Amino acid sequence: MGGNGELKYEISQNAYIKLVLHSLRHKTAAVNGVLVGRISAKDEGVVEISDSVPLFHSNLALLPPLEISLIMLNNKKLEALSKGKHRSPVMQLCVKDASKNWRVVGTDGGSKLLLKEPSANVVLSDYISSEKWKDVTDFDDHLDDVTKDWLNPGLFN
Amino acid sequence: MVTKTEETELNQLENQVENGGGGVWEYLCLVRKLKVRRSELVLKHGLSILNDPGKRSALGPDEWTLYEQVAIAAMDCQSLAVAQNCIKVLQKKFPESKRVGKIEALLLEAKGMWEEAEKAYSILLEDNPLDQVIHKRKVAMAKAQGKPSLAIEHLNKYLEVFMADHDAWRELAEIYVSLQMYKQAAFCYEELILSQPTLPLYHLAYAEVLYTIGGHENLIAARKYYASTIDLTGGKSTRALLGICLCGSAIAQLSKGRNKEDKDMAAPELQSLAATALEKEYKQKAPAKLNLLSSALRSLKL
Repeated sequence: MGGNGELKYEISQNAYIKLVLHSLRHKTAAVNGVLVGRISAKDEGVVEISDSVPLFHSNLALLPPLEISLIMLNNKKLEALSKGKHRSPVMQLCVKDASKNWRVVGTDGGSKLLLKEPSANVVLSDYISSEKWKDVTDFDDHLDDVTKDWLNPGLFN
Repeated sequence: MVTKTEETELNQLENQVENGGGGVWEYLCLVRKLKVRRSELVLKHGLSILNDPGKRSALGPDEWTLYEQVAIAAMDCQSLAVAQNCIKVLQKKFPESKRVGKIEALLLEAKGMWEEAEKAYSILLEDNPLDQVIHKRKVAMAKAQGKPSLAIEHLNKYLEVFMADHDAWRELAEIYVSLQMYKQAAFCYEELILSQPTLPLYHLAYAEVLYTIGGHENLIAARKYYASTIDLTGGKSTRALLGICLCGSAIAQLSKGRNKEDKDMAAPELQSLAATALEKEYKQKAPAKLNLLSSALRSLKL
């Protein structure tokens, strides 16, 4: 990307919620996943993240499961951004906030991540109180039990 | 590590307890015995017993064990006030106790008061230099403070003395992997396989580390360990089956332009056997994903 270099990221509600629920499900471990999106048609400096796919919650740095998961990810996603490290500033910001106040992530200077729908945090708090994070399954879970779908299709119904 | 039967029993009790079916004390005892981490539930149900004087006195001398268990669970859930209260009760009942001293130090850790916790542990270690739990707390503190190299240093020293502690070897391996020090991680898994050669978990982990390091020989070795995992799990390990396919593909790629011997190492029969087993599994259990799997396997066949 040309221009002023720094990309901004706009994350959709579902992608954001899935991401947070995934890390809540595995409170005692680091998690990673893939954010999927595309360059905004309106503004080249903005990447719109439309979905997130939770991948792993153990042994994040090992190649074979990571390779398989990326191969299995559907090619119809326009641009896959693998953002393993990206998740940690987001999570640290949320997790350190021990009270249930989930702040808009944009305050962390390093990540330039903005919520597309500001109501996302409200929906998120609802989900947290109903322990929705128990329903999130990631690719790691899939490898242990292939009946589990890492794309979480029914999560928001 | 927990066996499948133990896990089933635990889950059953957990469901029962959560749905008001009683069995709380059995559940808490099982959690303690298996040393699993179920802190939220322990806190919730443990407190329900402790806060009820009738139930509490029914426990007899086990009451104090429960206080200890709940204190630790509370710390894991960051309910430091609850933990503090439990500890106070224990301190009153057992003044000067080393066991209570350990929990006090744990509370310092939970509060993030690292220096004070270090001091407390050092004092405890003076009287009992071979206390494994305290040594492991030092590793945990290093990890919590984001000092993985210090954690590694402590763990290595620990393992010089307690070299049969498999959990410690696993922990060390995982820290190495997180730092991308794969060769060192491989060494740990080698130790584990030597001491417990029939545990498929170690074969699998070793294979994955070898694959990650890469290179022709490591890939061949990785494939061997994926194969032994399949052997040890009766063909049920999806990860190992996928690993075989990945190895086959990677070896074939590396073998391009090499001499015939190396090409023979491609072992296409092994790869197609694994692929067939995988497709069968997906067909039975996850038919919606079968196409995805098949195209993934096709892309691996080069």
